[in-house]
Amino acid sequence: MSIKSEAVDVTINDIKLLHQLSIEVLPAEVVALVGPNGAGKSTLLRVLAGDITPTRGNVFYDRQNIANLCILQRAHYRSVMSQSQPMVYDYNVKDIVSMGWLHGDNEVHNKALGLALQETMERCDIDHLDNRRFNTLSGGEQKRVHLARALLQLWLPDTSAQHRYLLLDEPLANLDMTHEINMLGVIKQCAQEGIGVLIVLHDLNLAAKFADKIVLCNQGRVVSQGSPEQVFDSDILTSVYGVTITLSHNPLTISYY
Amino acid sequence: MSQLNHSLMLKNSVGYSKQSLILVLLIILAVFSAIIASTNGSFEVSVVNLVRGSATELQSLVIMEIRLPRVILSALVGASLGLSGAALQGLFRNPLADPGLIGVSAGAALGAAVVIVISPAFLMNSLIGPFLLPLAGISGAASVIFFLYLLTKGFGHQGVTYMLLVGIAVNAIAGVAIGILTYISSDTELRTLTFWTMGSFGGVTWNLLVPAMVVILGAMLYMTPAYRALDLIQLGEVEAYRLGVDVKGLKYRVIMSAAAAVGASVALSGMIGFVGLVVPHIARMLGGVGHRYLLPASATLGAALMISADLLARIIVKPAELPIGLITSAIGSPFFLWLIFRMKQNVY
Repeated sequence: MSIKSEAVDVTINDIKLLHQLSIEVLPAEVVALVGPNGAGKSTLLRVLAGDITPTRGNVFYDRQNIANLCILQRAHYRSVMSQSQPMVYDYNVKDIVSMGWLHGDNEVHNKALGLALQETMERCDIDHLDNRRFNTLSGGEQKRVHLARALLQLWLPDTSAQHRYLLLDEPLANLDMTHEINMLGVIKQCAQEGIGVLIVLHDLNLAAKFADKIVLCNQGRVVSQGSPEQVFDSDILTSVYGVTITLSHNPLTISYY
Repeated sequence: MSQLNHSLMLKNSVGYSKQSLILVLLIILAVFSAIIASTNGSFEVSVVNLVRGSATELQSLVIMEIRLPRVILSALVGASLGLSGAALQGLFRNPLADPGLIGVSAGAALGAAVVIVISPAFLMNSLIGPFLLPLAGISGAASVIFFLYLLTKGFGHQGVTYMLLVGIAVNAIAGVAIGILTYISSDTELRTLTFWTMGSFGGVTWNLLVPAMVVILGAMLYMTPAYRALDLIQLGEVEAYRLGVDVKGLKYRVIMSAAAAVGASVALSGMIGFVGLVVPHIARMLGGVGHRYLLPASATLGAALMISADLLARIIVKPAELPIGLITSAIGSPFFLWLIFRMKQNVY
């Protein structure tokens, strides 16, 4: 059981963005996708999300080829948080979070929605904002609202044993330290509850500290993957990033200036 | 914790019930204006007489054959413009998407003008005659919406500007084409064309009204279930897709039903500006932005406003009539300016 890509190629306008790329995210695992700009991290995330159909190769959600899953079935397996667009109309915070709810709005589910909404909003520390207009929130608060929406999308009744996956494209961009730590805490907690997490990160130290597994990409290929100790090697990092990178262990720290 | 849940659900239901209340009030308003509009005008008919069955034959004739079709048509046109405006503003994520402003009504008008001037008389008098005008209006509206969509989808946030510019161009092109048609038309055709371009609900008869009614009501019923998808697409097309929304299907549904509703309306009543723009904004101010409320509210409010505007058009200078387009534009254009002023502050 996992979400994985198998030997995926993506070619757009004759430019090969991904070469034979295979990665796998297991339930309850946090995988950090790192690499320089243009490495294909976001493209890979979009392939795994099902936004882009690979030119060659396949994507599987729990051994099912996603080509055979309808978009609503995919929505139950994985949710995605990426750079969001501004909202044109004045939805309030609760409206936006509720957009992640996939279980209809009949009487029975309304009750479940009320509970799930409250729990998710408390978890993301936005429950005090529920009736605020989304457009009046700060950037960090808006990010937390979108995270809450992505988490609500993965809500399942306790009786269900389906695996779920959370794909995050640079969720920490423009967050201050406090919110960075809080958001990582929420994500980690999700992983502990069995959700498989793929997170695109730029900060190698955060990745080393936070992820169970690192996938280092460069120019559309996987350079190396494994535990932080295995992947973060000063020679490899130096050649991938083109700046001198030194490591010190216990704890693993990566420095580049 | 459980107390919190309870209060949250309570708030949820309060939000819905406030919107339901507004919807009920809007329906009452529409029905009320329909009653006033069918009994007032240059020929007075008292409601009491009508209900007691003591109205004269002439009075019943005026009501049944002149007033009632007219009130129904204005309600239908108002509802379809309001609903289409709301749905297009949602789909394009653009508060200025109004069927008139972006050239959709002009496309419909051109389609209808082509039928009036060019189609041979035997076709107009045949069995399919009454459907010809709405069909032409719908095709005109559909081609413009489709063209707009192709043109603006690549422009991202510049979409607003491009859409309005394209709207100006489409309006101008349709104006030229209608001008040419006017020039080559015969006397009778010219008469029909002129009355019709001024925009009026007058002179509508049941045999014209019924086909349009079927088209408009059908389009509205087809559009309404898209309310959730229209909310989700506010997050962006990719996000909506990831949440399981069939984005292509949604576009098709909204574009086709807006084209059908606006096309059929314009074909019967001419071009009526600003209703599709203004009505959804008023509805949002009254009860919120969620489409589950916004779609029915815009339809009902549009109907009520249009019935009242038509009543005004009939009584201000009675026994003569003002063109209805004049009244809606007189109310709508200042509102449009105010909207642009608000856009500067980025709030809708």
